[in-house]
Amino acid sequence: MSLDKQKTPVEPVSTTIATKHFGEIVVREDQIITFTPGLLGFSDLHRYILIEHGQDSPFLWLQCVDDAALAFVVIDPVYVLSDYQIGPINGVKKELDVRNLQDLKVLVILTIPSGRPREMTANLMGPLLVNLANRRGKQLILENSPYSHKHPVLPG
Amino acid sequence: MLILTRKIGEGIILGDDIRIAILEIRGKQIRIGIEAPPNIVVLREEIYQRIQEENLRAAGVRDVDLKEIANIWKQKKENEPR
Repeated sequence: MSLDKQKTPVEPVSTTIATKHFGEIVVREDQIITFTPGLLGFSDLHRYILIEHGQDSPFLWLQCVDDAALAFVVIDPVYVLSDYQIGPINGVKKELDVRNLQDLKVLVILTIPSGRPREMTANLMGPLLVNLANRRGKQLILENSPYSHKHPVLPG
Repeated sequence: MLILTRKIGEGIILGDDIRIAILEIRGKQIRIGIEAPPNIVVLREEIYQRIQEENLRAAGVRDVDLKEIANIWKQKKENEPR
């Protein structure tokens, strides 16, 4: 690497990570979202990145940085249920240090059964909240909500 | 499993920063108070299991199934009246 400062502007540190769906990819440190605690069932894994599935596709991959094989498909819940409300968020706002509500991104995890993708469901009971400003995230569990963890997405 | 006997108003300490207190007993139901730091997940067991199992199921998505869903989604959009 050149030491000439003129030619090497300060860039965020990049790491190459292995993934099941995308092979090896380069991610910048400032793209990594840290979930504390980790998602239920994956409490030891904290670092993830979001990857767009493609143009005209509302789906995103939530790829784990520390486990190549672990990736979730997530979506903005507005595509699933237009009036989806996660309820009071004062606690989580504080935890994720949200200073501007526009920085708070809500996503829900999709379960797409193998070979029967039309039976896809959305976990509206356990949404993911991400503060885009500091990239801290958390899976919120809506214990006393009317939402299902298996909300059908496509009409049957 | 550690088994303890407690009276109403008495508590149990887990580690340095988790406290569980017995608040009230009404017939077969017991009200329990829990004080824990925000990074500790406190949930009813059945809810915890439901979300954990769903996360585990969701983690197994295959590329080919997502592709099919994306196509279905696109067609749905195109067919929607504007």
